[in-house]
Amino acid sequence: MTAVVFARFLRDTRRSMAWWALGMVALVLFTVAFYPSVKGNEAFDKVFEDLPQAVRALVGAQEGVPLTSPPGYLHGRLFSVMVPVLLVTLGIGLGARAIGGSEGDGTLELLLAQPVTRSRVVAERYGAVVVVLAAVSATLTASLLALGPLVGLLDGIGIGGLFAANGAAFCLALLHTTLAFAVGCATGRSGPAVATATSVAAGGYLVQGLAAVSGGVPAIEGLSPWHWYLDRNILVDGLPPAAVIGPVLVTGLLLAAGCWLFNRRDLR
Amino acid sequence: MTVARPEPADSLSGRRAGKTGWRRLTWRSVVPVLPVPDIVVEARQLTKHFGPVVAVEELDFDVRRGEVFGFLGPNGAGKTTTIRLCLDLVRPTSGSVRVLGGTGRDLVVRRRIGYLPGDLRLDARYTAAEVIAFFGALRGGVDEAAVKQLLERFDLDPNRPVGELSTGNRRKVGIVQAFAHRPELLILDEPTAGLDPLLQYEFQQVLRQAVDDGATVFLSSHILPEVEVLADRVGILRRGQLVAVAGIDDLRAQARQRIDFHVPGTADVAVFGGLPEVVSLTTAENVVQVVVEGSVDRVLKAAAGLEVRRIVTHEADLEEVFLGYYRNDLT
Repeated sequence: MTAVVFARFLRDTRRSMAWWALGMVALVLFTVAFYPSVKGNEAFDKVFEDLPQAVRALVGAQEGVPLTSPPGYLHGRLFSVMVPVLLVTLGIGLGARAIGGSEGDGTLELLLAQPVTRSRVVAERYGAVVVVLAAVSATLTASLLALGPLVGLLDGIGIGGLFAANGAAFCLALLHTTLAFAVGCATGRSGPAVATATSVAAGGYLVQGLAAVSGGVPAIEGLSPWHWYLDRNILVDGLPPAAVIGPVLVTGLLLAAGCWLFNRRDLR
Repeated sequence: MTVARPEPADSLSGRRAGKTGWRRLTWRSVVPVLPVPDIVVEARQLTKHFGPVVAVEELDFDVRRGEVFGFLGPNGAGKTTTIRLCLDLVRPTSGSVRVLGGTGRDLVVRRRIGYLPGDLRLDARYTAAEVIAFFGALRGGVDEAAVKQLLERFDLDPNRPVGELSTGNRRKVGIVQAFAHRPELLILDEPTAGLDPLLQYEFQQVLRQAVDDGATVFLSSHILPEVEVLADRVGILRRGQLVAVAGIDDLRAQARQRIDFHVPGTADVAVFGGLPEVVSLTTAENVVQVVVEGSVDRVLKAAAGLEVRRIVTHEADLEEVFLGYYRNDLT
């Protein structure tokens, strides 16, 4: 049997996916357009060098990577906050809507009265969510690859580095997406799903931010998915294993738990 | 008492119970036909609690093959919960409900069911045609000819988004999708809520056709006349408990009739004294109102002693019977 539920959910979200993709292109355009005025501007680097370490960390500056260099600029402008926050936001919305949202608005009832298992609905909807998230991430990568070289924004960054940074941001978003999805599966409502995933995202970011400012407590910051992601400048330093393994493990556990709970409970 | 149903037309006889094989007809896909058991829905001690709230308690009832079984009760009596238990949308706290020889969890069983939820929610962005095609794809096919006929019958434009439709028209989409694959069991929760009288009549015709073709129907309603018109047997549900299960004809036999005897002046009602079938007796200027339970024979003979100028009888009122059940239950 074909993936009818999967295809239908993609169709449901195609408009919102298009807008998000367009937004990513616009973000890259904006970032690229500003780069020439920053490129090689030593005054900029000087200003930042004089700032306290905590403030530098907050704007995404890293040791040994000047903010005016392509990896410094891209990381500071896009990959330290903007891209992960956007992808996490998109993912939480999608994940919460997939099961929790459609159960909350009552449309899941008639679907589950059809000859489909709940596990199949979970699997196909989750698959569709991942595809949308991946498509929007891929749009970002593609836009950077297409527009970056026009202003030398990818100089000194390997294509592998770019893919690694995008992949890590995707993994971070996937974790929060799956959390929202699983809470939706467990509660049958999108409100708690959005609330839980947003709190975890904000909490994790806060822990990482505090750690960057104050040195932090390794035991606690090690728990933050943002720490796995922001540990280094992935564009030049490569992909830290934790940025992929961590989210993938957590995602797998959350998905299994969500599916298990959804199969066992009453539909609202 | 169950009303005897005519045997289905030959072209559809493959759907009848006991016959196995493959049904072709006008189906886009080939759906295997399994034998339909004599008892299509079988609830045994079916109980569902939501936390401290008792939704239904120890229900025992059967829906027999080929009949229309009406579940009647006021709002909140547990009708919808029972229906959702049949479909495995909620799980019983204790007891069981078997459907088409399996459970609502079996996909094979669900493929053979057409379901219309009481609180029907459809994705507003899709057209009626898309909604029907989507559910059809999940079930492995719809009967295109039947769908076309239903759409025409209900005067439903399949190309308008569901979100633009009125409540009644949305309900029609729900009805069409429930009937679209010619299911062996129709589970309909308040099927005609929101339909105008003309469409209610159309719905009755469609339902009769399905039953004539061999379908079994389990429907719920809080509207007595609807059940009276459609059902062979009814189960009366009150506060999660089954108060009675009876044939409509049996209930009708119990029904009370009101007879108005128009007389000149004030009549001497002593002639009705001692008749046990007279439930109540009211006299007013020029009229005597008698409410009779059971046969009216002796009442009419007794009335011969009066100077009756006109007799007005009122329809046997089933509502009285049902209210009687509720009242008995209350005391």
